[in-house]
Amino acid sequence: MSFRTKIFLSITATVVLSVWVVAAVVSTLVTQSFQRRDDQRTATAVGQLQREIGRRGAEVARRVEAVADSDAVQRLAVNLSETSQYFTAAQTLAQEQSLDFLQLVGPDGAIISSAEWPARFGYKEDWLPQPFDWNTQPAFLKKEDLSDGSALGLIAVRSVKAADGMLYVAGGQRLDKAFLDSLPATDGVRLQIYRNFEPRESAGAAAALVDDVRRKSRELSRVTDAASITAIPLEGRDKQLLAILLVENSRAELLSLKRYIQETAAAVGAAGVLLGLILSFWTASRVTRPLRDLASSVREVAMGKWDTRANVSSSDEVGQLARDFNGMTQQLVEQRDRMIQAERVAAWRELARRLAHELKNPLFPLQITIENLQRARDASTKQFDDQFDEIFRESTFTLLAELAHLKTIVGRFSDFAKMPAPQLEPVNVNQMARDVIQLFEAQLRAPGQPPVETRLQLAADAGEVPADPDQLHRALRNLILNALDAMPQGGALTIRTARHDSKVVIEVSDTGEGLTPEECDRLFTPYYTTKQHGTGLGLAIVQSVVSDHKGAISVHSVPGKGTTFRIELGTANV
Amino acid sequence: MRLPGWAWLALSSLICIPLAGATRPRYGGTLTVELSTLGTGGETALAMSITETLVRINARGEIQPVLAVAWQHDPDFKRWRFSLRTKVTFHDGEALTAASAAPALLAALKQKYGEVSIEAGGQALVVESDHAMPQLLEELALPDTAIFRKSDANMLIGTGPFRVIAWEPERRLTLAAFNDYWDGRPYLDSVEIEFGSGRGHGDLFDIPVGPARRILPDGVTTWLSEPRTLVAIAGGNADPVLLQALALTIDRAPIANVLAQHKGDVAFGVLPQWVSGYEFLFQSTPDVARAKQLMAQVHLGPMSLGYPADNLFLRSVAERVALNARDAGITIQPTSTGNATLRLIEWPIESTDSAHELKRIAEQIGANERAKQLDASKPETLYQLERSLLDDHRIIPLVHLRETFGISPRVHFQPPSQTTASDPFALHLEDAWVDQKAGP
Repeated sequence: MSFRTKIFLSITATVVLSVWVVAAVVSTLVTQSFQRRDDQRTATAVGQLQREIGRRGAEVARRVEAVADSDAVQRLAVNLSETSQYFTAAQTLAQEQSLDFLQLVGPDGAIISSAEWPARFGYKEDWLPQPFDWNTQPAFLKKEDLSDGSALGLIAVRSVKAADGMLYVAGGQRLDKAFLDSLPATDGVRLQIYRNFEPRESAGAAAALVDDVRRKSRELSRVTDAASITAIPLEGRDKQLLAILLVENSRAELLSLKRYIQETAAAVGAAGVLLGLILSFWTASRVTRPLRDLASSVREVAMGKWDTRANVSSSDEVGQLARDFNGMTQQLVEQRDRMIQAERVAAWRELARRLAHELKNPLFPLQITIENLQRARDASTKQFDDQFDEIFRESTFTLLAELAHLKTIVGRFSDFAKMPAPQLEPVNVNQMARDVIQLFEAQLRAPGQPPVETRLQLAADAGEVPADPDQLHRALRNLILNALDAMPQGGALTIRTARHDSKVVIEVSDTGEGLTPEECDRLFTPYYTTKQHGTGLGLAIVQSVVSDHKGAISVHSVPGKGTTFRIELGTANV
Repeated sequence: MRLPGWAWLALSSLICIPLAGATRPRYGGTLTVELSTLGTGGETALAMSITETLVRINARGEIQPVLAVAWQHDPDFKRWRFSLRTKVTFHDGEALTAASAAPALLAALKQKYGEVSIEAGGQALVVESDHAMPQLLEELALPDTAIFRKSDANMLIGTGPFRVIAWEPERRLTLAAFNDYWDGRPYLDSVEIEFGSGRGHGDLFDIPVGPARRILPDGVTTWLSEPRTLVAIAGGNADPVLLQALALTIDRAPIANVLAQHKGDVAFGVLPQWVSGYEFLFQSTPDVARAKQLMAQVHLGPMSLGYPADNLFLRSVAERVALNARDAGITIQPTSTGNATLRLIEWPIESTDSAHELKRIAEQIGANERAKQLDASKPETLYQLERSLLDDHRIIPLVHLRETFGISPRVHFQPPSQTTASDPFALHLEDAWVDQKAGP
């Protein structure tokens, strides 16, 4: 993830999170405020309803009393033997007193006249004959059966003393939507009455709440997205649940306000995102440009341009970093120069030591030979002329031999110094391996040589690589010579080839004493050798050849087990 | 609105109400009549106070002469010969002869018997048909066979005691005494009949059957006819088991006593007891338990019981029937719309002729084949026919209604006892007289 993206995400997250927190807090506070208001509204509505029911109940009781005191009822009370002519009396009296329900009921509970259901005359209302005095009882809720269903009524009962017992006058008014509509309106509050003896109209939160209240018979509330609903059970005289009052507080206002808050928060958030985007670009351009410059300088240093300098455009941490970087590269250059100088000196010393060592060996025989020749000449007599000649011949032979040796040494150093650029051509690595090992067959089988077993493990798909056949041949030859030197007591020499994707691998292994890790690290250093008579140029030449072929060489050695050199060459352009 | 036949039949006759202080009848004065409704057959029934039939049937079911003084028939009842009363004139002065009576009679009889021919000669009137007409006398006693003519102004011209002076359709009818009436001038000079008022302010007014109790003015007396209108449930094509169950649920007494305010009798048969003489044999009591058992056998949806929209009495009856039915789990919805499963009907009993009335109602409910097997000469066939009709429950009788009139104190009828005994159906206007000193 880029620095710019991180800055953008940080700024955006900060802004959005802040806005979200503020919006959530405001929304919660608003919701709580509205909830308190809803509770107050509900309490007000319920209070109004209860007061209105009480007032209506008293009014109903008064009207029923008026019916009971009417001439018609009084006449009926003294003439209960002939009730048929009072069949329509209840309708008339109910109309006079504006009652929705009115029944005149005889002492035996039989209906004499019914306003709400005239056809029910003669049917029994067994609940009316009671031992207590109805005239002291307040109005109560009751389910009233009608010809077309049932209704909820606010009923009052009054009794009139008749000749054969009590005549009952039961009257009331409907408790329905019209009744609720007559209550003082409260904005946002809707009252509904669910009658418990009617089928539930529909599904939804209100219906579920009604079901809960029917089960638990206590006041319950439920909040939905659209409204908060409080359900209050309304019970009759014998505590049976007759109806449920639903007080529905509309949450439209709250939802509107919350939507406004959310929209505002979303707008602010969006602005924050945009601001974050702009700030991130600006900040990134301010911060990452010197960093990018610094990174570019680092890459250049990595590529070897140690004298690269980073621009110091500010005095802040990034500027300090650039200054430190410049200081570091300056020190690196100085150290590199010192190291090169030191290495150069060390190389000259090593070269001098090696040259001294290499040249000292043949020089000593030369000195001895010449001194012997001088002593032979000084002591020359007639009788020793013949002996002198022989010594002269031997001495000149030795001198020539040692001079040849010196020439060889000088040639090797010359060769290393004059390593030519490779002339690439397709080379079959398996064939190359076979040719090289064949050169050493005669040497290996010569008497007195330690027994060395040669093994060729060549991959059939090794194929060809672009290489200079002479240089590759020389590199392999040096590795084999190195392996044979590592096995003075004999052993096994193995050459392997393999192909891995676009590379061909050539391995040369011996079973000699192996090398220590430190020796492995310095193995390819020119003039470094672990052998008594080596020049230290063999493996350096191998590394030079492999490097000129864009390949890689590595060594793996286990002390006491042997050493394996691994050459990897690319197959491109073959 | 049209005045029902029975009402005009009632108005065409007179029952004398014994009143304290009533002495001898006096001529003169105008009688005001208020009728709440006009029913079907009103015009024909109106003719009964203006027109007359050849014969009539008294309370004992006996045929009595009116315009015909004698009659004969052949053994096959295919040819009847009537001798018309002489010295009878129409209201326009034209003498009643066989030729003047024949057109109205022929039109009425053709509707009843199809191909009928009438020969008129002097006062002799011969009715002949290819079919037997054993009930012809009973038919000729009905209002729709009255003898009348139409004037150039399309006014009704009869031979009755009153003649039409003015007629405002469905509003007012004014009659005047026919001085040349063959049976003597009526006491009243004129009669003013107002329709559809229902105020009860007239000298004579009808009191409709219904649950509402009518408070009558002081001194007003009431007159009730014999039960003459059947209120019943017509089952139509409803399930017979349902109809049987429904019949078992209905408690008829409250309908007669409360809804009809005692202006009716519980009906267990199609014909009232006073007409058939055997209605008591059909008596039954409600059996809701049995009805529930029957309903357990059938699975029916809600049904409707239709009643005329303007008839409050039938509406209350329908609601009561629905309430009773609910006790047995039968759901019936009273409705005033036309497409009802069951129907409440009011069936007027036109005469005391049991066979004639039973046949009419059998035909009305679609039992024509059984009606044809009725033999008027064998009373047991009457019972068997009615029994079968009731067992089918195609018709469920509920109540037989009486007609009620309120009569102001200044109105008297002469002679009271004779009229009551002679025609239990109706009041006869020609027997009414007013005490003009008593005021309107």
